[in-house]
Amino acid sequence: MVIQRVAALASAALLGAVLTGCSSTSMLNVPQDDHAELQIWIREPPGSNQAAVADKLVKAFVRKTGYRARSVALYEDFETKMQQQAAYRQLPDVVINDTAQLGTMQSQGWVRQIDRSSFPGGADLSDRAWHAAQADDGNYYAVPFSAHTFALFVRADWRARLGLPPPKTWADVQNMAIAFATRDPDGDGRKDTYGMVIPGSTKRGYMAWYYSNLLLDSGGDFLAEIHPGQWVPAINDDKAIAAATWLKNLFCQYHVVDPNAVQDDTPLAHTTFEKGIGGIYLTGPYMLPRFVKSMGSARLEVFPLPAAPGAAGPSALGEGENVYLTMGSPNRAGQLAFAEFATSVAGQTIAMDGDGGGLIVRLPVNTKVDLGAIHHDPRWSVFQQVYNTAKYTPQVPNWAPFRQLAADTLNAVMADCGSDLKGSLDKLANQFTDELKRQNVYGG
Amino acid sequence: MRRAQNESLHTVLGLQARNGPLALILKTLLYGGIILVFAGPLLALLAGAFSKVPDPTKFSLWPHDFTLGNFEVAAHRGVYRYLFNSFVVVGFGLLLQMVVSVFASYALARKKFRGAAIVMLLVLATMMLPEEVVAIPLSVVLSDLPLLHVNLIGTYLGMILPLGAWGFSIIVMTEFMREVPLSLEEAARIDGAGELRVFWSVVLPVCRPALGVIGVFGFTMIWDQYLLPLIVAHEPSQFTLPIALRTLRTDDQVGIGVLLAAALLALLPSVIAFLLFQRQFTRGLSVEAVGR
Amino acid sequence: MSNLTGSRQPRPPYGTGPPSRAAVPTRRAPYGRPPVPVGAASRHTQVSRYRRRRLQWLVPWMFVAPALILFLYFKILPLAQGVQMSFYDVRPYLGDRYVGGGNYVEATTQPLFTQAIWQTIILAVGTTAGSILLGFLLAILVEGQARHLWLVRTAAFLPVVTTMAVVAEVWQVMYYPDRSGALNTLLGWIGVGPEPFLQSPHQALASVVAVGIWRGAPYDMMIFLAGLATVDRNLYESAAVDGASRWSRFLHVTLPSLRPVITILFLLAALRGLRSFTEVFLLTNGGPGQSTQVIMVLIYKLGLEQGKLGVAAAGSMILFVATAAVTLAVHVWRRRAVVR
Repeated sequence: MVIQRVAALASAALLGAVLTGCSSTSMLNVPQDDHAELQIWIREPPGSNQAAVADKLVKAFVRKTGYRARSVALYEDFETKMQQQAAYRQLPDVVINDTAQLGTMQSQGWVRQIDRSSFPGGADLSDRAWHAAQADDGNYYAVPFSAHTFALFVRADWRARLGLPPPKTWADVQNMAIAFATRDPDGDGRKDTYGMVIPGSTKRGYMAWYYSNLLLDSGGDFLAEIHPGQWVPAINDDKAIAAATWLKNLFCQYHVVDPNAVQDDTPLAHTTFEKGIGGIYLTGPYMLPRFVKSMGSARLEVFPLPAAPGAAGPSALGEGENVYLTMGSPNRAGQLAFAEFATSVAGQTIAMDGDGGGLIVRLPVNTKVDLGAIHHDPRWSVFQQVYNTAKYTPQVPNWAPFRQLAADTLNAVMADCGSDLKGSLDKLANQFTDELKRQNVYGG
Repeated sequence: MRRAQNESLHTVLGLQARNGPLALILKTLLYGGIILVFAGPLLALLAGAFSKVPDPTKFSLWPHDFTLGNFEVAAHRGVYRYLFNSFVVVGFGLLLQMVVSVFASYALARKKFRGAAIVMLLVLATMMLPEEVVAIPLSVVLSDLPLLHVNLIGTYLGMILPLGAWGFSIIVMTEFMREVPLSLEEAARIDGAGELRVFWSVVLPVCRPALGVIGVFGFTMIWDQYLLPLIVAHEPSQFTLPIALRTLRTDDQVGIGVLLAAALLALLPSVIAFLLFQRQFTRGLSVEAVGR
Repeated sequence: MSNLTGSRQPRPPYGTGPPSRAAVPTRRAPYGRPPVPVGAASRHTQVSRYRRRRLQWLVPWMFVAPALILFLYFKILPLAQGVQMSFYDVRPYLGDRYVGGGNYVEATTQPLFTQAIWQTIILAVGTTAGSILLGFLLAILVEGQARHLWLVRTAAFLPVVTTMAVVAEVWQVMYYPDRSGALNTLLGWIGVGPEPFLQSPHQALASVVAVGIWRGAPYDMMIFLAGLATVDRNLYESAAVDGASRWSRFLHVTLPSLRPVITILFLLAALRGLRSFTEVFLLTNGGPGQSTQVIMVLIYKLGLEQGKLGVAAAGSMILFVATAAVTLAVHVWRRRAVVR
């Protein structure tokens, strides 16, 4: 009796498998239609100023070119929506997203290849930015749109009150953090401040993302490319351990990190910094307008992250956004036209939003754009200077698992002061090896 | 008579029988404590939603610096649009779910037919299927319904139709309908009532309490939905409130007060539904407790 | 129905059926016309009745059809699709590749798989046991008819109807790890803390369990109240006549009567615990480190954050089969227990 029922169920399931059919890639050869409306997705909170600027950019594109297009801002669950829309091959036509997503998107076959030499205006875009649109096979799968890097936001008023020098070394940064945590920099007579604000949650790999600045600044990296396209883990070498140890000491030895750090994503960290809970925050230039508005310009200074002890020179994580053109779009000409407009001087200028608070281009990728003429705040130039020595994340086929693994490990190391740092990083290196093998780019 | 006098026999502890001043104080403290533990955090949410820039770290039961500003900002972020979406989904979803369940239960409870066991097994099996497990495949199915070739992504229909398949309601309703005396039905049939008539004017009226039960439980279930509306929504304007909450939390430009205001809007309908239909809730729980 | 939760009337002993059923026969009113003698039926109705009988088998299917269609489309088909995906390297844009059991191997050899299983079990058992114990305690404390008890019960029940998304927001704030956080302020009064709660790999899982209990205990409380209402008050009375103390009355009368309720509660909650997702996803997302990683969150991350849809599908199927197996085992066990 039971067997009969199970058999019935099984045949129902089989029927289902037949009905849903098998997938084929031929569906990607969609008939072309210049009038098809382009869906343009950008990873910004819906309803935010950034979303409004994205909408402005898209509308300007429509006015200028006559193509039809619509912008959609999505933030939380962006990857979820992408994966799910990809599952039935209805990705949006254009996606403006992190450069770090390049490998993931390319290895899944989501994005069109771009011919850099024939891309209109491509010569005006900076080499460093183009590099972030290049996959490990040497081809370009996106058009660079925006670049940025990270620097230290410091509470100027706190530093002045305690009479601390501008940070020139890592030791300076550490001492400043300790002073902020112990010497009552806000002068309210209460011990309610911390040195560092860190978005250290595992979500979207934030912890790894923060740490990578320290790691790159130390001259280390997550992975080392020993032959072109062949990688080995470098996350447990001396430089990586030194950088992690320095960070862990801030957490565990000096207790100068804001207490919510290991659970915080960036939005929470922003608020923590704004509220004066912590005084040193390593983050991107896109936060400048908001912090100036919420905290007052005089309370803010921006310093480059100083070179790590023993490192050849300063560095930081280079990041940015690319314009990805997806496969299967019914309007390929429109896709390209949008990419061209978005990277043109006109497009970049709209997206930089002057001194408004909704910029979606941080540092322009178009070398013809004069940053100083658009952003009058001189602190912007610090970021442009740092960007010249910044490094992007390794171009493995799919970076996301590495970032997630690293974030999980580092988050655990920082959250648990009794943890074995060296042992944890060794274990992480093994996980990296496994993942490299899985992606067929292991060079050991 | 003796029972009425000796109240201590009516409850396990016989707490209510003690009324001395000390007992009164103790009871007040005890009940106050219970209310504080379970309702306190939600009251604090209420207070925060009306406070100007509430400190994210501190919780208070009274709003300081009373303001409606949080709701205004929330409105700018489209919270009322999300609330509207939630209402549409919960309204039609619940209606569909109840109608479908009632029909199916009628057959399962009152008819003997070949295949009934398999249908029941199917219903039970799907109850073990966490919706997260089938989220991606479900979105594939919704994007191109087999045989019909309709794309339901980005439509209310796509959010509503899957809600119709809800095993719990069928099980509860079937249990209940089995208990309706056969004599009622026979009397009607002898009178010449057709199948629909028997269903509509004999069995259904008797089951009204059970309708209340699956109604309130269905409501909470649908109101709690996260993944289904997320995968069906094509863009943010189609989101429901729970998804919007998560987006608001990570929105740089709004404070925690706005988040709490939105959370309050997400909380209120379910609380109101609970207060209105408390009896049905209680009854549903007792079905769960001693029914199966 | 309020007498369900605060019993004044003695109730029939457990076993004769739930109170909700007992209410049914009293609602006979809707159809009151006298029966027509069978012999009086005309030839015409006999014919139509004959025709009707031939189509009789269709009737139940007509009633079940809407449900069947919806279940087929939105449960069975996706499940089948999931099964299929679990055997493929799913690449919608490049063409899927058959990998046999490869996804199952990769899912189960995930470095975190075993840890996630254990943590899922701890979370499930912790939440279940805690909710039942606290729920029971609450139930016997607030049992009764008085109006203020109704208020207490209603207030205590609010967490149950609160959307998980809201619960997560509220508790993120309650658990704020600094001295100024709500819970830490309370702890400060008794000279403890500040504790990191969700921030610490050693406390995060327990903190998630606590939220689960906060939301689960009132639910269990209501069920216990319903169960308590079915305990035969005559038994209390005879116990009192025998001179038994409250404690022994509780031990020998109340508890045994509630045993079936406790069993059911435990099983339901344990099954729910196996697939817990939303609370962890919204509260900690598996962190810090992996300290709150549970199976469903791990699967979700694999599929939607790392893009390994096939592996995630395989993990899902394992979980589904495990859940089904546990349910089936329980079912068989319970049926056997009833027979005994």
